Amino acid sequence: MDDKTRLAAGIAKQLQGLTYDDKRLAEIAAEVEVLNEAVRKAANQRLTFDDDPAAFASVLAKEAK
Amino acid sequence: MINDDLALRDLSEVADAIAAGRITSVQATEACLERIAVWQPRTNAFLRLNKEKALEQARAMDKELAAGQRRGPLHGVPMAHKDMYYRADEISTGGSAIRHNWVAPVTSTVLQKLDAAGVVELGFLNMAEFAAGPTGHNVHHGHCRNPWDDKRVTGGSSSGSGASVAARMVYGALGSDTGGSIRLPASACGVVGMKATYGRVSRAGAVARSWTLDHVGPLTRTVRDNARMLSIVAGHDPDDSTTSEKPVPDYEALLDGGVRGLKIGFALPDALVPVDPQIGAAVQAAADALGNLGAVIAPATMPDFTALYRAAEVIVKCEAAAMHRPWMEADAPYANQVRTRMEAGFFIPATQYIDALRLRAHFVREFLARAMDGVDAVILPAIPFPVPTIEETDVEASGGPATLSMVARFTGLTRPFNTLGLPALSVPCGFDGNGAPIGLQLIGRPFDEGLLYRIGHAYQGATDHHRKVPT
Repeated sequence: MDDKTRLAAGIAKQLQGLTYDDKRLAEIAAEVEVLNEAVRKAANQRLTFDDDPAAFASVLAKEAK
Repeated sequence: MINDDLALRDLSEVADAIAAGRITSVQATEACLERIAVWQPRTNAFLRLNKEKALEQARAMDKELAAGQRRGPLHGVPMAHKDMYYRADEISTGGSAIRHNWVAPVTSTVLQKLDAAGVVELGFLNMAEFAAGPTGHNVHHGHCRNPWDDKRVTGGSSSGSGASVAARMVYGALGSDTGGSIRLPASACGVVGMKATYGRVSRAGAVARSWTLDHVGPLTRTVRDNARMLSIVAGHDPDDSTTSEKPVPDYEALLDGGVRGLKIGFALPDALVPVDPQIGAAVQAAADALGNLGAVIAPATMPDFTALYRAAEVIVKCEAAAMHRPWMEADAPYANQVRTRMEAGFFIPATQYIDALRLRAHFVREFLARAMDGVDAVILPAIPFPVPTIEETDVEASGGPATLSMVARFTGLTRPFNTLGLPALSVPCGFDGNGAPIGLQLIGRPFDEGLLYRIGHAYQGATDHHRKVPT
């Protein structure tokens, strides 16, 4: 079991109260890594302290035709 | 034969004929029921058919009209909807086994609006389990099958909506779209599907897949029909705080402006997979047709779809995991592919989920500033490859890497627009080498559904893809 799978196992058992076998934990760890990296990369390029999730609806309203 | 002719007419034509007294709602309903008797065994589009109740409603609509009362522009028109729109005191499965006998406590806002407009409800339609799946597979209720070729998928998750409209069993149907679930079945079944701007249509009383990415919308045979249906279901709803207070136009009244002078961006972007040459040629031909009608077609610069796609995945997995947790912990009977698609949501840090939400405003501004700079709308394919077979996309039966990869690629060109929340209209634009439909997508600025309908209507006036009926 690699470090990421071990971490996933810890999250599952200690934080979420869920049980998965090692094979599934490895798959989940790989999937989460891809998703996290994509969001982190996009966030590092764009987000600042003042960015608010609710700005999405405001932008749609302000840019409305 | 007479009834079959009636079933083949468009929603708006039938609605107007009922209003004018040329036909009755009962006749239209009987025509649909006759089509259903023939096509249901071939498509499995309906989960529940309420024949007697529909006829009773139709008789009531005819009686009201005879007394001079027309409820609205859909008075007496038979429809059916994805089995995720609650109707009080009736079963609502959400396409699942978990809720196979669950009775809804309320009626969804959109069904209330259709009731008020005079719609006759034939029943409820097949769908992917809990709206999770882009193909139309459903291990609990049976797969929905494409009317053009019953070995091929319908697209999902609004599988029954696409199949029933395409096979002329109903005049219109509601679907929902979290990653493409209106546009994919519209494309694969050869009908029109609108995912309106986020906040344009209420989600209250509808099964959620992801609260922040779900869009409710209509599937119909023509753009005109779709415009009429959206005009009815759109609008602010106190029961859905995310709905916009922006007034709803009469979309049907905006159809006839033509496209002369409009500038339309055109793109065949790679999103997880390159666009198949057949699909690219069909969408290019559609762009050419719009050019011949007077639109200016220009290349559009698309953003990095992968970032938009991954942000949507983070959001949907986290929200779905949260809402399904009690059933997942109880080992409730999900299809494996439905369960496994949610599990990562338990492991994604909350900060990543929040950042994905915070990124959406940036993504929208960037898309409008770049892809839509100087253009009124953008045209691109809905599904980047020909409609595959049920067998080759059956993750449950053969969940190998190739199958999983193909299923994931289904939403490559649709899911990014759920992240953006922009209006997206799917319109039939041809047929692939297997005889299955191809759909194009039109993307607009926020709340510019009227312009997309205008472009789609002009295109349908110059082409006949939407007039072809599966036999």
